[in-house]
Amino acid sequence: MKKYILIFLLSFQSILAQVQFEARTSRPSLGVNETLRVDFVMNADGDNFTPPSFEGFRVVGGPSQQVSQSWVNGKSSFNKVYSYFLMPMQRGTLTIRQATIEINGQIYKTNPVRITVTAAVEKQRDPDDLTPTADESVHLVAEISKTSPFINEPITVVYKLYCGFDIGISNWQELDKPKYNDFWSQNIEVPQKISEGEYKGERYRYIILKKVVLYPQKAGRLEIEPLSLDLAVEIPSGRRDFFGRAQIKQENKRVSAGAKTINVKPLPESGRPDNFSGAVGKFDFTVTPSKTNIKHGESLDLVVSVSGTGNLKLFDLPKPVVPTALEMYDPVHNENVRTPLSGMTGRVSDTYTIVPGFKGNFTIQPMSFTYFDPSAGRYKTLTSKEIVLRVIDGPGLAQNQSAASGVQKQQVQASEQFQFIKLKTELKSANRKDFFGSTSFYTLLLLPMLAIPAVVLIRRKKHAADSDIMGNRARRSDRLARKYLSEAKRQFANKEMFYVALEKALHNFLKAKLHIETSEMSKERIREILLEKNAEPQTVDSFLKLAEDCEFARYAPSSTGAIQHDYDKAAAIISSLEKQL
Amino acid sequence: MKLVNKVILLLLVTCQCAWSQPAFDTANELYRKGDFAKAAEAYESLLKTGKESAEVYFNLANAYYKQNKVAPAIYNYEKALLLDPNDAEIKNNLSFAQKMQIDEIKEVKNVGLQNWVRQITLVVHYNTWAMIAVGFSTLFLLLFLGYYFTASTLFKRIFFGGMLLVLLFLLLSILAAVFERGIYQSERPAIVFSASVGVKSEPSQNVEDAFVLHEGTKVHVVESLDDWRKIELPDGNQGWISHEAIRELK
Repeated sequence: MKKYILIFLLSFQSILAQVQFEARTSRPSLGVNETLRVDFVMNADGDNFTPPSFEGFRVVGGPSQQVSQSWVNGKSSFNKVYSYFLMPMQRGTLTIRQATIEINGQIYKTNPVRITVTAAVEKQRDPDDLTPTADESVHLVAEISKTSPFINEPITVVYKLYCGFDIGISNWQELDKPKYNDFWSQNIEVPQKISEGEYKGERYRYIILKKVVLYPQKAGRLEIEPLSLDLAVEIPSGRRDFFGRAQIKQENKRVSAGAKTINVKPLPESGRPDNFSGAVGKFDFTVTPSKTNIKHGESLDLVVSVSGTGNLKLFDLPKPVVPTALEMYDPVHNENVRTPLSGMTGRVSDTYTIVPGFKGNFTIQPMSFTYFDPSAGRYKTLTSKEIVLRVIDGPGLAQNQSAASGVQKQQVQASEQFQFIKLKTELKSANRKDFFGSTSFYTLLLLPMLAIPAVVLIRRKKHAADSDIMGNRARRSDRLARKYLSEAKRQFANKEMFYVALEKALHNFLKAKLHIETSEMSKERIREILLEKNAEPQTVDSFLKLAEDCEFARYAPSSTGAIQHDYDKAAAIISSLEKQL
Repeated sequence: MKLVNKVILLLLVTCQCAWSQPAFDTANELYRKGDFAKAAEAYESLLKTGKESAEVYFNLANAYYKQNKVAPAIYNYEKALLLDPNDAEIKNNLSFAQKMQIDEIKEVKNVGLQNWVRQITLVVHYNTWAMIAVGFSTLFLLLFLGYYFTASTLFKRIFFGGMLLVLLFLLLSILAAVFERGIYQSERPAIVFSASVGVKSEPSQNVEDAFVLHEGTKVHVVESLDDWRKIELPDGNQGWISHEAIRELK
């Protein structure tokens, strides 16, 4: 049992005695303007140490060696360290490769180490460090024109490198180009010229390294990443050489303009017109046709242009709306924009080619362009004028050939033309009733139908009446009596007048029937003629008697009953005479 | 007393006629002088008296056309065509006005028996069909009288055959009037008056536009809901539009 424990302990010892060789870094991530320390640590002495190539880094210190050996309670421990100080050359993830060493005839390797290099960080100045350095006399500054712009309102960033009079800069290199995320950026080329200016109350020489115009594309807090430079600085060391000249120390220095935060204000929601397409600035809007009177088959150009200062390249121009009779082709886009520090200025335009298809007047609707004026803080809308195009000729129009040729006859073609107004009208009430479905419609429709049975009925009756001969005769004489005696009947009340009328009626009857004149009328003559015409002697007698009575009765008193009696008698005689004649 | 009333009424009616025609003439005179805005006003005021005719609508539309006002021009041409559907001048000028409108909508021709019947019944207004029916009815009576009173057997036969034929035509013309009136009453044409208006897929302002119409386009109202009108285009597209954007012809 004891044996096993011993073996176990021995094996444990062998683990403790194992060789260790590893790489340790002071930090896993660092800014591009910071340094990193890498230690390669081993617990046994070895030979042929080979450091890795440190790609992406520059070795600013080392290698330095450190060896320590100690005995504690009879046990020895050994420690050897190779140290390097590194400065990253670029951003991103860098790898420190394997280092190798040979210990007791065997080659050991470290694990590769990954280092994340971020954008330059602002360094805190150590307050205890009083030694004068390049830090105090070299400054990189980013000047921002406005820290709270609206979306699409231009801001400018000017990078200036200030340098004290006592030091010199022999070279510089941009380490980290800032990326302007969420900005539309335009770099402005500047001549590199040294000028003098003040910075924090002291006089400096400065150089403008870079000018950028930025258009924020997003609302909220946006960060502008700092610019980092690696400078080769010449600093007087304060010592003088043998000849008394000031000795100059060469030093590499990194400077970075601090990160800036910009608070971008969104464009106001209230009062935003529907056709707002994102234009911010100060603009002028024009719509101009190349001509307004055109012939059929010709084309014209319609230029929609916006000029002024603002984010000219960053919005869409409004599209014209034309009637279907005009054929409009896709526009040709034209930009003439300069970008000085104040922001884009110039003119952008769309040129549309329009070909009219028909004769007539056509209207191109007024177009409106809306932009946001950041200085006024509100939206402004510009509206173009309505454009009327006059197309003079058109298809289907009569051709105006000159009649000078004379010989050929010209055919007059009916052309398609806009018709003149009508000169005559018949006004009707606006809310008149429909004829269809009205009472008069049904009446007029059904009246002829109802007339058919009526016609049939009337004809039947006529037939029946025609067949009744006796009745007919009676009716006819009645009618005769009525005809001649109507006057007498009217005078029923006046006896004298009645008999005058009755006598006259009898005379009239004779006149009509016998065609004799009143002057010929004597009793004998009447009797003679009547008998000649086959009248019965009895009837002739009673007729003459009645005529006689009339004369007599005019002066004699008589009753109403007698009048009625005489009237009936006259009717009977006339009708019987009529039958006999 | 009644007679006096009648006389006064007759006088008033004749006065009104005599007064309307000069108003029409003065408006025409304004149009002839080229003062289209004033002419349009004059025609409008004439229409406000409750009188109308195809000619007044036509002249008014012409006045609007001359001022390049598309929607009112098309609206009044269509009004004139409702009163006089076969006038060539109105159709001609309407096509001129339609060239000024912005939307181009392909008409989908619907085929079938109903469309074929419609081609015939469309020729005249349904009131005219009613008058034709009355005419056939009268003709029927005349033929009957001929049939009834003629003695010759041959003529009797001819008249009887004519009666049957006329009766058939009478029934057909009544059917045509019924059919045409049914279509007239179901159709609700309207003209878009807004310069540009979005047509929504639902009757709500918060919905995206299905498509956009411009002034002068003729649409048919299918349904109404509050301030919204469901419209159909000749190409079969449907959507909801605000009632303020359109003006109905009837």
